[in-house]
Parts: sequence; C-alpha cells; structure tokens
Amino acid sequence: MASPQMRAQSVEIMPQVERRSQLTSGRAAYRLIAAERADEIFPILVEEIVGLGFPRALVAAVDLESGEIRPVAALNCPKTYQQRFNTALWQGENPIVGVLRAMQPAVLPKQAPGGRPIYCHPIVYRNRTVCWEAERERRFECLAVANYHAPRRLELQEQVCRTCNMRAYAAAVVVELNHKPTERQIEQLRQLIELANRYLARLFKVDHYYNRMRDMDVTISQMQTVMQSMADPVILTDSQHRVITQNKAAERFFKVPEQEVTEGAARAVELNNMLFSAALSSMAVSGSSDASRDLTLVDVLEGEEVLFEAVSAPSYSSDGMRTGLVTVMRDVTDLRRADQEVRANLSRLREAEELIRQDRDRLNMVIENVGDPIIVADGAARIVLLDPLGQELFGRVNESKPGDGSGPIAAEELDPKIIKNRVALTSYLTNFTFSFVSKDTGSIRLYQPGSKTEIEYDMRSGKIFDARGQVAFTITVLRDLSAFRKLEQLKLERRMLEIEKFAATGRLAGTIAHEVNNPMEAIKNAIHLLQGQVKPTGEAVYDILKKETERVARIVRQMLGLYRHSEQVGTFDLNAVVEDTLTLFNRQLERAGIHVERDLGKLPPIVGSADQIRQVLSNLVVNAKDSMAPPATNGSAGGDAHHPAHTGGRLVVRNHHLPGPDGVHGWVRLLVADTGSGMPRDFLKSAFEPFVSTKGEKGTGLGLWIVRGIIQNHGGKLKVRSKLGQGTVFMIDLPVVR
Amino acid sequence: MPSRKPRVLIVDDEASVLVTYRMILEQQGYEPTAVLSSAEALSAVEKTDFDLLMCDLSLEESHTGFEIFEVARSRTPDVPCVLLTGYASHEAVQQAEASGIAVLFKPIDIEEFLSTIETLVRSGHGKQKASGE
Repeated sequence: MASPQMRAQSVEIMPQVERRSQLTSGRAAYRLIAAERADEIFPILVEEIVGLGFPRALVAAVDLESGEIRPVAALNCPKTYQQRFNTALWQGENPIVGVLRAMQPAVLPKQAPGGRPIYCHPIVYRNRTVCWEAERERRFECLAVANYHAPRRLELQEQVCRTCNMRAYAAAVVVELNHKPTERQIEQLRQLIELANRYLARLFKVDHYYNRMRDMDVTISQMQTVMQSMADPVILTDSQHRVITQNKAAERFFKVPEQEVTEGAARAVELNNMLFSAALSSMAVSGSSDASRDLTLVDVLEGEEVLFEAVSAPSYSSDGMRTGLVTVMRDVTDLRRADQEVRANLSRLREAEELIRQDRDRLNMVIENVGDPIIVADGAARIVLLDPLGQELFGRVNESKPGDGSGPIAAEELDPKIIKNRVALTSYLTNFTFSFVSKDTGSIRLYQPGSKTEIEYDMRSGKIFDARGQVAFTITVLRDLSAFRKLEQLKLERRMLEIEKFAATGRLAGTIAHEVNNPMEAIKNAIHLLQGQVKPTGEAVYDILKKETERVARIVRQMLGLYRHSEQVGTFDLNAVVEDTLTLFNRQLERAGIHVERDLGKLPPIVGSADQIRQVLSNLVVNAKDSMAPPATNGSAGGDAHHPAHTGGRLVVRNHHLPGPDGVHGWVRLLVADTGSGMPRDFLKSAFEPFVSTKGEKGTGLGLWIVRGIIQNHGGKLKVRSKLGQGTVFMIDLPVVR
Repeated sequence: MPSRKPRVLIVDDEASVLVTYRMILEQQGYEPTAVLSSAEALSAVEKTDFDLLMCDLSLEESHTGFEIFEVARSRTPDVPCVLLTGYASHEAVQQAEASGIAVLFKPIDIEEFLSTIETLVRSGHGKQKASGE
C-alpha cells in the first residue's frame, strides 16, 4: 500500500508530531489517537479541555451545505448556554461567526456568564500533504492542503475538494476561560485543539473512504445484478483473453456445470473457450477497438449449436489504462434463420412477381388485340381500365389516380360526343354493378370517332367478386354490330340470290315440264286407250310403256310443283305457312286416318320464300302420309274415311323459337314427325340425293332433294332421324335474320 | 232419262290431248263435245246444256277456262265444272275452290280422272232431276 515516496514523506512528518506533543498531555494524545471514528474526536476534545482546568467547553460545527452552526459536543454547558451558539455563518453579529469567517483563533472578552472571556478556535479540514486520490491522479488540488497552506476566510462554496469531490468540515471550539488566562494556558489549548483537528482530518478522510467504499459496493452489486439479469452472455476478459468475470448466461457456455459434469459437457466448454478466445484474438488482430464477429457455440446443457454475434469493447480504468475487454454476445440463431427465411421468401416473391408480370403482359396483349372495346370498372362502377379501342370511345383513364372518381381524363379535353358516350356507359355500368345479376347483355348506341357516326354496340358484361362476395370489378366487352350487321346483310343477300336462283331453276324446270306435260298427257291417254287392244305378244312392251310413262308423268308433276307458286322473297310467318299446308292436306290426311298434332310456338318472322317453305312442308307432309299409308289388305282407301278413330298413325308438326345470346334472334326450329314405316339406315345417308325414293314406282326421288335445296338456300339446317317401323323425324332450323 | 248419255264438254288447246280425252270419254259411255278454243267452247255452251264441263286453264290468246265456266253457269247455274291444268297458281286454285270448281292437275291419273267425272256427273244428274221434277 505504501509507496517508497510515501515513506520518505512520513519520515519528515514524525519530528513535527513529536514537537507538538510537548504541551499536550500523553493521556490526551493517546485518547485522541485511539479514536477510530471522526465523531469520537469532539467529545474527547471537550473532556480533555475541561481536564486542563477550564470550566466548560463546546464544539459548534458548521454545516457547510446550509451554513448553519450548532453545538455538536459540549461539557458543563447548560442547554441555555449552548443555545447561544445556535447560529449561522451569515449572522455576522455573533462573535464566533466572526472568528470562523476570519479563520483565526481569538480570545473574546466578556462572552461567558460572569463577564469571563472565552477562547474561540476555528478548525477546518486541512492537511499538510495531498490525499491518496490527488496523489494517484497526479493532481495537487487537494482541499486539505489548500486549507493548510492558505488559511483564508471561510467560504461555503470553496469547501468541496475538486479532486475527490469531498465536502470539508468546519467547526469552532469554544472554551470558557478564567478571568485572567495565562499565555501558556492559551498555547496549551491551541496545541490540543490543533492535535485533535489533525486526527480528526485523518479520521474524516477515512470515513470518507469508508463511505466511498460502501457506495462502490452498492454500485458493484447493482452492476452485478444488471450483468446477471442480462439474457445475453457478457464476459469480461483480461488482455490475455482470460475470463475475469462473466454472467450466468455466459457460464452456460464457458463453465462446466456443477451438477452434472460429463465428459461431453467438459469438452463442449473447452471447445467454446477455444472458439471464443480465437474470436477475441482475431478481433484484436483486426485492430479496431469495437468489433463484432459471428461465433457458433455449443449450449453445454442442451447440446444445441447457437449462433452468436459477439460485440467486444475494451474497458479502461479512470487513468486510461486498458483493463480488459467486455464482450456481449447476442443469440442470432433465430434472427439468422428468420433472415434466411425472409431472403428465401423474397426470392420466391420475386419469382411470383415475375410470373404475375408475365401474366399481366400476356393479358394486356390479349386485351389489346381482342379488337373489341373492353372496359374494366371497379366495385363503385368507376372505370379503371380501357383497352385502346375503349379509349377511342371514352377517352383515357387517368392512370395516376385510377378509380378516384374522375375516371378518364379531364372533361374539357374531350369531344362532347365522347363525354356523351361516357355518360351512357357510366349509367349502364352503375345499373349493372349494383344489380343482382352477375352477367348481362344489352346494346348501347355510341358515337364512333373513327367513322364519325353513331353505332349500336352489342354489350356483354360480367362481374368479378372478391373473397367476401362483393363486386370487385366488372368487365364489359362491346362489339361493333355494324360490321357484323353488314356481314349478316351480305349473307342474307347471297341467300336471297340463291333462293332466286332456285326459283329461276324451278321456273325453267316448270317451263320444260309444262311443255312436256301436254304431250305426256296425250301419250298417257293414248296408252290408256290401247288397253285391251294389244296383242298378247305385245303386252309386255305395253306394260313397260305404261309404267315408264307414269313415271315420267310423276317427274313432270313434281317439277311443275316447283313452278306452280308465285315466287316472292320477303318476311313471312312460318306458322301461317304450316297452317296453310296442313289445311291443304287436311282431307287427304283425314282419309288416311292420320291424327295431326300441332304444337306451334310464338315465332319471330322468317326471311325467305314462303312458297318454297310451303313446298318443303308439303313434301314432308306427303312423305309422312305415304309412310303411314295403311296396308293394302286393309281394304280400299275410301273405307278408311268411315273409321272415326285415327288408326293410321300420328303426324306431329311442332315449332319453337331458339333465341340467340341476345334473346331475340337465333333460330326457329320446325319438327315434322310421323309414326310411319321409317327409313332404313342405309337409305338415310342418301335420303337427300335426287331420284332416291323409298316409295318405289310411286316416288320421284325428288321431294327430299328439293327440301334440302330450299333449306340450304335459306341458310338453314336440316336433320333427319328415323327408325324402321317406328317413324321419322325431320328437324329444320331456320335462321332468324335481323 | 235412261237412254241419254251424259253430255260432256271438253276444251283443250292441244289437239292430241283433246283427241285422247274425247276417245276415253266415248269409251266410258259419255257423249263428249271436244273443242280446241274458247271461242268454240263458248258457242257450244250457248247451244247445248252440258252435264259436265272440263276446261284446260290456259287457252288460246290468254283466254282461260274460267270464262267458259262463267258463261255456262249463267245458263245452268249448277253445272259441274272441272278445271284441268298442268300448273296453277294458288290464286287460281283458290278461285276454283271458291266457285265449286274441281281441279285436276296434269298429268292426270286416269283413275282419278274417271272417278271425278263419274262422281260429278252423277251428282249433277241428281240435282237436275230434283230441280226438273
């Protein structure tokens, strides 16, 4: 503890102490030196003063914080006497305050009862040499020394040491003297008080150190608590990387557990220490004062690997000496794992984003190339997306603020006709978005800037719902029907032309047939007239002549049938044609005992030739009737008419409208079904070819061929289903033209 | 009148057709008057009360069988008439039906031809008898 320097100083001090003791009794010196605490000094001092023969003595201490003065030790002093010394530094009228301020001992006359004088001696914390702290910190601003060398007026603010921050003490020793005190008595008193102050100064310093030590203990235990309560391992190492202290969290890795000392645990601790030491060394080599490093250690108890981020900072003593290294380790296992997961998710997200981007590009390409205007609106019926064709009609969507209500660009920049278009669209979108239907079709008249005309667009809309079932978006596709209409018109015209051509062919056939007809009539009659007059050898020839003539007659009759009608192309009511035809054949059907069922729907008008369609129906009805003809054994044809019940079968004529997607157009379907003999499967394939017949010599084979031609010319579809012995169904679909 | 053969007027502008009709009618026991033109037909109608008139629809110079029927009916309102035609418009057929005129389409099936004539002549006789007595 003592340095050689200090010893040299104390040698110098010794003779002074010897010299001072000359007037002080050995007993007093011994008592004072035996005192162990500062507060023992003043009682001893007053006792020794009274022991010297003075009647009474007291010590009034100055509170150097508040400046108040009050007695702290007294002998033979009644309370009232003591109260005289209850004062304060600023009460200058009090004689002892004057002495304290001047810091000079003085004899004050007539202060004690009975007119006796008092001796007042101020004492303050002082010392001849600097204290340990000032010494160690190599500072010489020690308050004790300052007070020793330059006794000044006592000032409160000066009585705190600038080195050790210690507040000094100050007091006045008051002794009542006899009426005539001797010089020796005063000197004796002065020496005793000085000696006491000398011991007091030392003990006061010791007390100060003791208090300081206690404060430090508290601080240390607080720091320990802080350190131990840290969940992260904290290690303090010396310059050789040896552990000075560590917290419990660190012991888990660097100390063999006391309860279960296994070989594995010992090896783990050894490994951890090596790794830690290596990490510290490499950090030291890297040179920076603060460094961090990743370190994988093994949890000795759990056996798991834990990834730490070790952050080290050197610690210094107050005089700037490097005392070691504090390392705090943070468990980043979870953090790193989370980090890795985040990175993996990020790359996955990027991939997904790329996919979505590609999808979106593809979708945009599709939308831009659809060739029809497309409108996407949000759940509040605000337009959010338009394809280029849609932009032509409605202006652009303000892309910086989609769906903010402004929708397309500012109105003043647009053609008023475009605004009108938008108003029409918005009104439709609002209706659709807040309706209960999820799909809608309709039409809208819009101004088309390209052709500078108003055009009717066909409109189809659908809703996209979000997860809560709310409308997220609506998509509307417009179709320019004018182009479609033109095409339709063209088709219709072509069809009309075909019908006309067919009619012309029919007329030609009719003209030829008519010209052939009269000679045919004569030939036929002539053959009839020859009946019975032919020689037996010529009868075979006569039969051929008769049979073939009849066949030619049938063909001529059929061909005349095509021409028999006036040819007018226009719109007509199919139901009227059906009724006409059935009326025309009513008698024949009734005679054949055929029950007719009609099931006629409400139909839109058909465009074409009513006469040709009548021809179709006639041919089909005649075929049906013929297929249901009663067997020859059933007697003559006339006999059937007498049967009230319909035994000859059933003819069903049924039609209905098959609406198109717009609900109006589409097709008209006509079914003609019978319960007749049906057609063989092989026959069906060629049923619509010319000169093919199931009726043998009675048929011309032209009926279905003509039916097919007419239906084709009308842009219709013709289908037949038949089962031998059960019946036949003809299905005709005719287009409804706008 | 059991002895008198039913008198039938047959008009057709085609001679060969007309001849064969006449021959068939004679063969069947009728007394046919066969003429080629509407003019001849009209004069025949003026002279004779026929039991049956059979006229081709189109005659010479856009004359039609309907003219002859009209004249004949003005004399004998109930005389049965048959319109013979290779082709007939709907209007013509409707007109015939409206006037109670039977229509036979050429080429005519001989059986149908004969049965139609027989039916009509018989019904015409019935009426004439009824009106005569």
